[in-house]
Amino acid sequence: MEYIGEHLLPGEIGRFSVSLAFAAAIIAFIAYFLNSRSEDDRYLKVARSAFLAHSVGVLGIVLSLFYLLLSHYFEYDYVWQHSSLSLESRFVFSAFWEGQEGSFILWLFWHAVLGLILLFTARKWESHTMMVFSAVQAFLASMVLGIYPLGVKIGSSPFILMRETSDNIGLPWTQIADYLERFPHFMDGSGLNPLLQNYWMTIHPPTLFLGFASTLVPFAFAVAALIKGDFKSWVKPAMPWAFFSVGILGLGILMGGAWAYEALSFGGFWAWDPVENSSLVPWITMVGAAHLLLVYRNKRTGLKAAVFMSILTFLLILYSTFLTRSGVLGDSSVHAFVDLGLSGQLLVYLLFFTLASFGLMIWRFKKFPKEDSGDDLSSREFWMFIGSLVLLISSFQIIFSTSIPVINKLIGPEGLIQILNDKMAPPLDAIKHYNSWQLPFSIIIALLIAIGQYLRYGKTSSTLFWKNISVSLALSLLITGIFAQLYDFWTDPLYLSLLLTGFFAAVSNLWFWLVLGKAKWTFAGSSVAHIGFALILVGALISNGRKDIISHSKVNLGESLPANENALMDQGDTVEMGKYFAVFEDMDTVNNKQFYSISYFNQIGESEPLFRLKPFLQMSDQMGPTPNPDTKHFWDRDIYTHVTYSSYLEPVSPDGFGNEAEVRLNEGDTALYRNHFIIFDKNKVNALVNEETGELKTIMLTAELRIVNAMGTEYPISPAFIVEDDIKEYRDTTLEAPRLKFRFEDIDYDTDEIILKAWTKKDQREKPFIVQKAIIFPMINILWIGSILMVIGSFIAVWQRIKKA
Amino acid sequence: MKRTHIAIIFFIAVAIGAIMVTINDASTYVGFAQAEENMGTKYTVIGYLDKEAAMDYDARANRFTFTAIDKEGQKQKVFYNQPKPQDFERSEEITMKGFATDSAFMAEEILMKCPSKYNEQNEIAGYETY
Repeated sequence: MEYIGEHLLPGEIGRFSVSLAFAAAIIAFIAYFLNSRSEDDRYLKVARSAFLAHSVGVLGIVLSLFYLLLSHYFEYDYVWQHSSLSLESRFVFSAFWEGQEGSFILWLFWHAVLGLILLFTARKWESHTMMVFSAVQAFLASMVLGIYPLGVKIGSSPFILMRETSDNIGLPWTQIADYLERFPHFMDGSGLNPLLQNYWMTIHPPTLFLGFASTLVPFAFAVAALIKGDFKSWVKPAMPWAFFSVGILGLGILMGGAWAYEALSFGGFWAWDPVENSSLVPWITMVGAAHLLLVYRNKRTGLKAAVFMSILTFLLILYSTFLTRSGVLGDSSVHAFVDLGLSGQLLVYLLFFTLASFGLMIWRFKKFPKEDSGDDLSSREFWMFIGSLVLLISSFQIIFSTSIPVINKLIGPEGLIQILNDKMAPPLDAIKHYNSWQLPFSIIIALLIAIGQYLRYGKTSSTLFWKNISVSLALSLLITGIFAQLYDFWTDPLYLSLLLTGFFAAVSNLWFWLVLGKAKWTFAGSSVAHIGFALILVGALISNGRKDIISHSKVNLGESLPANENALMDQGDTVEMGKYFAVFEDMDTVNNKQFYSISYFNQIGESEPLFRLKPFLQMSDQMGPTPNPDTKHFWDRDIYTHVTYSSYLEPVSPDGFGNEAEVRLNEGDTALYRNHFIIFDKNKVNALVNEETGELKTIMLTAELRIVNAMGTEYPISPAFIVEDDIKEYRDTTLEAPRLKFRFEDIDYDTDEIILKAWTKKDQREKPFIVQKAIIFPMINILWIGSILMVIGSFIAVWQRIKKA
Repeated sequence: MKRTHIAIIFFIAVAIGAIMVTINDASTYVGFAQAEENMGTKYTVIGYLDKEAAMDYDARANRFTFTAIDKEGQKQKVFYNQPKPQDFERSEEITMKGFATDSAFMAEEILMKCPSKYNEQNEIAGYETY
């Protein structure tokens, strides 16, 4: 059958590109493998051409998917699901990587780019590292193959037509040639999740995925070193990549935090959500790996640890991918991907690389060169080693707690080996749980950052050490004193320690660069990055540890209940919020966004507000109303607000009834609505048959109900609906005294339940109102400045390393 | 013994500590019945929304009331001292963190699982049959 109106060519090109990328990656792997064994240059030529062909394939995938999205070809499942006609074209990038297939492609793309760079720069390391790259790419490309050999699903293709998806195949409409024209369903896509329609979502995923991809390079070098048995020379070319990875992955994670702060309403930039954790953990181990590489390069010691951490980081990236995409996190995360049926494949992927890389390490363990380790307590390498261990514990703690759903799958009551009697749930107060561990770790790390630069490799003279560091220590004590006084940290020893060590780390690194490093740019990388990281710690501590929720409900429901952190604001009334007085002015609807204009005054009675915020609710069919915060930035604090509810969301019919509720009842059932019992007695059917044709002409269904109020007064009601010539007409019942309205909406013939709708009369004089949450984050700018410095510092370090290499 | 070895042993000790504390901190998924046995103790209950019972958000008091059915089939009234979560009606599964009192379950935090877009698409596509 010939279908009308379908655009098959770009999809064919896309599918061909996937096959090309997959097949070429396998060929490249085999050829690189043969080359690494025989050093025969003919294999190298084949391998290079195969990897180039692979890269062309990847580019073809990317371009065809973009083409489909930009052309709005909604016959393609991926296009229909992730975009719509009304989607602004600048968000087409977000639509590209909203789905799992798209994000795999993004990842594949970055690997191909990095692989090409390596192909031209790695020289004697090329065949071994590119062999690893090609193997990884073959696995990744298989994730978007979308084929079913022997009934096993391998990959999920974004180039599949809607009529070809496994859910739709065989449905009657797929047999209609002009289905695209006939069904309005295919005229427009379902649209992009409104939360992702934000510029951060255009740049955060590619940055994060470049970060993920970059961890492959040190991994490839470490594995190559193990295969070759050459442990010395891999460190030099791997090191700039390790620092690049630290910088770009860090940037990606921080962008995610910035997006959460700007567009999400969970109230902050970090929530220890499993998805966030699973990208943070590899970053932490990559920081450890990069520092261990530095130690090995300078002191030829700690090689095993350096290899281990480099390998572990990439494996953690794979594990994170498994966590977030297999559906395992379903119960515990707000934004995990849905399961596409690829979890088995992901698990194979993870296990293959884990066994292969650790297997290699164990196999080569005896071959590692002997190191003479004079691990003097005053040496820099000893403390860098300790620092890396702390980072490893820190990442272990995070990943262990995040993995509770996996532990359930393994040893839970329904798991593989049933050890636990109850299913474990993530900690009730996740933020408290993680903070209680990560706070002490941060204190140690900050202290190590503070002293690290003043220690020498080998041995440090203690007089010189104290002489150099004393000014920084004194200065940071002073600064800490000021901040502790301002933000009341005196009573909290752990917070105070982090404040002190954090400032100490920032000041001593600045001092080191200015005084000992004579402010030379070539020297700046590590100092700037360390100052940045220290400021992130301090900024996070002050802004989160001393955040102040200034919206409070006046209604107190009970002492045992958590304080309600939302304030009710009637239009035009002044509500006290912290030291401000806030007035909800009005609501404007622009496109499908409801903007709520709220003015903030210093004092009651001022004519001009101090500032005005416009948080909005984005309406979408897909997600319902989605709150989007608005924040006033002062240099020393942010006022972060979002609307959690508004009277405009309450459905009100033209006759002034609102508070719609729907209930399903069987005969004899009772329901409760606004302090009234609804009792459903019976259902009556009256049918009128056309006498000539014998067809059903009119049918009237009446539900006999009783409404009983708290005093015991009964109101019998009988709402009904009539179906005549396929037109449905409701006979609603309105009760004047309790001011209620009832509608017999429909009947469910499967369960014999009636569907009843109820409304209450809204007071016409009732003013519109909103419920708002407002939080003050003090000194959050320290966090953002720190973030920028850390990223800049990492890139300066990369640049320095490249120049040296 | 080298100092690095001592450090590694110390590391392993802390790691074991982290596992123990996590297991201690981790709650277990329970039903309403078990939560009611220890009123006031916090639990995580997984259930789904009882669509037959009325659901009410009182914006003035800022209290959301609904009825949930846990996995053992027990119905329980739930108070949530926060605005009604968006799209609550469409949730397939609700994870409630909170504690039981003699009148209702007080939820402090609610996570919802909504039907994925895939399922919804099935409904639409399946409906257009001839």
